[in-house]
Amino acid sequence: MKDYEVVIGLETHIQLNTRTKIFCSCKADSWEDEANTNICPVCSGLPGTLPVLNAEAVQKGALLAAAMHAEVNPLSRFDRKNYFYPDLPKGYQITQFDEPIGKGGYLDLKMADGTKKRVRIHKLHLEEDAGKTKIEHGTRLVDFNRCGVPLIEMVTEPDLRSGEEAAQYLIQLRQLLRWIGVSEADMERGHLRCDANVSIRERGSQVLNTKTEIKNVNSIDSVRQAIGEEAKRQIELVESGGKVESYTLDWDADRNKLSLMRSKETEADYRYFRDPDLLPVKLSREEIAGIMAALPELPLERQARFVTEYGLSEYDADILTNERSLSDYYEAAVGAYTGEPKAVANWMMNDLSRMLNDLGKTADQLVLGPKALAEIIQMIDDGKINAATGKSLLKKVEESGSRPAEIVEKEGLGLIADSDALRAQIEAVLADAPDEVANFKAGKESLLGWFVGQVMRRTGGKADPKRTRELLLEMLRK
Amino acid sequence: MSLTSLSAFEVARKVKAGELKAVDVAEAALAQIRAVDGLPGSLDGGAVSADEEKKVHAFIQVTEKMALEQAEKVDQAVARGEDAGLLAGVPISIKDIFCVEGTTTTAASRMLSNFRPPYTATPVRRLIDQGALILGKVNLDEFTFGSSNESSAYQPATNNPWNTDHVPGGSSGGSAASVAAEEVALSLGTDTGGSIRQPAAFCGVVGLKPTYGRVSRLGLIAFSSSLDCPGPLSRNTRDAALMLQAMAGVDPKDSTSSTRAVDDYLSTLGQDVKGLRIGLSPDYDAVYYPNFETGELHKEAIQKEVHETLYRSAELLAKAGAEIVENVPMPNTAYGIPAYFVISRVEAASNLHRFDGVKYGYRTESAVSNLSELYRLTRAEGFGPQVKLRILMGMYLSAAGHDADYYTHAQKVRALIRQDFVRAFEPDGDHRLDALLTPTTATTSFKRKAVFGNSLLMQYSDQMTVSSNHAGVPALTIPAGLDEAGLPIGIQLIGNDFREDLILRIGHAFEQVSRDEAWRKVRPQVLAGEVKA
Amino acid sequence: MSLQHITPELFEKLVGLAALELTEEERAYLFEEMNHQLASVESLRQIQIPEGTTPSLYGLHPEGISPRADEWKAFTKPKQIVALAPESEDGMIAVPDVKGAK
Repeated sequence: MKDYEVVIGLETHIQLNTRTKIFCSCKADSWEDEANTNICPVCSGLPGTLPVLNAEAVQKGALLAAAMHAEVNPLSRFDRKNYFYPDLPKGYQITQFDEPIGKGGYLDLKMADGTKKRVRIHKLHLEEDAGKTKIEHGTRLVDFNRCGVPLIEMVTEPDLRSGEEAAQYLIQLRQLLRWIGVSEADMERGHLRCDANVSIRERGSQVLNTKTEIKNVNSIDSVRQAIGEEAKRQIELVESGGKVESYTLDWDADRNKLSLMRSKETEADYRYFRDPDLLPVKLSREEIAGIMAALPELPLERQARFVTEYGLSEYDADILTNERSLSDYYEAAVGAYTGEPKAVANWMMNDLSRMLNDLGKTADQLVLGPKALAEIIQMIDDGKINAATGKSLLKKVEESGSRPAEIVEKEGLGLIADSDALRAQIEAVLADAPDEVANFKAGKESLLGWFVGQVMRRTGGKADPKRTRELLLEMLRK
Repeated sequence: MSLTSLSAFEVARKVKAGELKAVDVAEAALAQIRAVDGLPGSLDGGAVSADEEKKVHAFIQVTEKMALEQAEKVDQAVARGEDAGLLAGVPISIKDIFCVEGTTTTAASRMLSNFRPPYTATPVRRLIDQGALILGKVNLDEFTFGSSNESSAYQPATNNPWNTDHVPGGSSGGSAASVAAEEVALSLGTDTGGSIRQPAAFCGVVGLKPTYGRVSRLGLIAFSSSLDCPGPLSRNTRDAALMLQAMAGVDPKDSTSSTRAVDDYLSTLGQDVKGLRIGLSPDYDAVYYPNFETGELHKEAIQKEVHETLYRSAELLAKAGAEIVENVPMPNTAYGIPAYFVISRVEAASNLHRFDGVKYGYRTESAVSNLSELYRLTRAEGFGPQVKLRILMGMYLSAAGHDADYYTHAQKVRALIRQDFVRAFEPDGDHRLDALLTPTTATTSFKRKAVFGNSLLMQYSDQMTVSSNHAGVPALTIPAGLDEAGLPIGIQLIGNDFREDLILRIGHAFEQVSRDEAWRKVRPQVLAGEVKA
Repeated sequence: MSLQHITPELFEKLVGLAALELTEEERAYLFEEMNHQLASVESLRQIQIPEGTTPSLYGLHPEGISPRADEWKAFTKPKQIVALAPESEDGMIAVPDVKGAK
């Protein structure tokens, strides 16, 4: 068998998290709503209605374009894509054809082996979503709630080479979308949807062979599997002397199977033309500068900085920059802490992340703020509490909202470092163990550990271990 | 003078002064409709009696209850001493292409014969807010696609009140006829290539196509979105100014509506025209038809009486103090219709995509086995032939695979047409016009069935009007005489962007200087027997 | 000059694209009228369009409204929209399936 490589381009639809739809004032999110209750004459395509553009959709679209290193178009335009389908109430979709909001750009993927891979973006445009349909006993039922939800359609160049790379692209795109706050990017809720264009060629070749399009690969697993299946099918077909045809395929995620939707010969003529109902979208130089300024440091940049600035390992920096809120939390905690940044990283990667998981929260939703975390670690460093108390404090702060020091004070969780109090406890221990005292004095100094343990037991673990050792030696050698 | 002959301005003045009850105005309008309108247009309305042939048939739907309720409100407001609005108690008809909650909005098509919109068009809302009484929905060419009213799915279609064997023009034929026959004082029409001005000229009334964007399109069932303009039809320029005043202004629901402040049209209307520069162009002396075998254009002079009326009108305006500027070149006028064929058809085909039997309106009654059949049968049965023609032409002109992109090419021609106007109006240009004076139509109203079916000839009846739609500029038609057959002749004043004030003022001056002309005493045929005071 | 002509094959394709169905009488009429209109459209080719002419979408440049603020205003009568549909089930608008009933 020849050595083949797979050539993949992804077309993603990203639902922007604006409050309202792109061309009318209905709310954008209908997840909780009954069918056809979040609609109006505009998004349900009643005759005589006109679209009015949502400024926030433009802002978020432009921010995404900037984050993808695309050129933000100072004058983008809306066009009509005409076709008949029951989920498209106007009989055309308002989209951007030749003057989209963003042109070009790329996303750098960090690969498992530590290398970087650049995936170029072909184009990025604003458009409206269609409704939803379902089949029941041979009848198609249509819900318009989703009509007019703002989408960014983003198409990559054919730069991906495996199902795994495609999956990585989606994972890192999803991270980026959440990072810059333009989409919830919840694939289960359809905020991030994906179609994949797949072809094969002999390794080393530069030609682009006939591709098939796989629709509805709407989870990370689906992308991996569907592309794998399709690449295998194409290779087997070509190896057995067949020819790949330009099909549109549907991925059935329940059965992990591809099925033929249609052959491309029947592709519609969309008769694109400028939508006269909408004026061109103008972004002035100042507005574009404002959008660029609002663009936060991106995940890969921040990861690199964490390594150099805080001395973290690549691994730690990677974990801590998975989500923007987590990395913001980390930086705030480091800022409030006088010790090594690595100590904060350890706490966050272990105890804090466990807590986040248990509570199902993101870092910015915690009651336990970064300053409180820094304070807890600091108290351990200063010998005011022990590590176990520190860990238990995480939960107590989260539940009560009180400051860690207040809780320590109120619940008496602080270590006994006071010499008189400790001396009294030690005297009592020594009085109860005359034999061991004698042995110690006779030279069996290894008993010191046993004495420390006894003091700890007596104080319920609250004795400052360092101070206890000092006092024990002083009192035994008297 | 009978109540129905009163101008809108007079009605509103008297109602607000308490001299007249809005309810009485509504009753008088309803009585006039009963007297002259005849059977309302209906689907499958076939041949009618000889008596009905003499009726106007402007209305598809008379909204008696709505009008009377609105009248009550106006009267109550007046009684409370409140401002009852610019149009207090003024009876108005609405071209049945505007969505009005509480009415069926048909677009004169079987496709929308049962469509009851849950919202009201912005211009209609503004008329109601200013105290207007909505008497009903009037007939039009199906989806506004025509220039004679004959393509309406609602038959009998409207007749010309001046001679009921003739067409009222179109597509706002019902609007023009209802105003001419004194069923209402005002009507709301739409103008895409001449659809207000051509029927207004044919019916001897005033019609104004405002600047694109001056009046909101929200609620107007779109024909060609980059050309459509709602506007007033009335019996004099003051009433047109009044109605425009009530409707004009930005609408947050129409992105293309202009944010520019609205002028006070009424306060400048009475000013004289001394020193205003009014142009005449040789490019409006003839119509250019293509030979469909060779494609070559050939020239046909406009009707002699129309030409004479135009030049006589110019003399009258000169007498009033205007300066007449002859030989203003408008070289791209001949391309107005072909460019219109492209732009309007491409946009119309897309705008009509939504009529598919799924969400509202007509759905085929045949048993269908799949979705595609539902679409095809619904559209085959729901649309008339002129609509199908426009859809197919739009499909052809926007389909992929031509050597040339027709739509973009036509938009470049549109830019050239616009340039003609920019040059004519340029303040430091050669002509420095305040308005261009042209015929509104090349001929007076034609007989029923004379042109209908010949889509090329029908479209070319808009040649004098279509250029201002391409350019976006405002244009006004006013009655200026009658031809030998006693049919009205209109003249057109085209102004610069947003200069409705100027063309209304010139039109008003013309009304003053021609006040005593003999043709002004002649009444439409359907009003004959009624004595004009 | 040679004129563009809509062939019967192209005509049928357009009918499909338009989701229409025509009677023989309509077909003959529309086919002829379209070719007549095309003759008019073709006259546009005679125009010398100066270099640099940009397509005009509205004639004038509309001083239209700016994009709106992202504020939710619910439409209060969504049921009336569903009620306009020729057929509906449980608040959903009903149509036959693409492939048709079995």
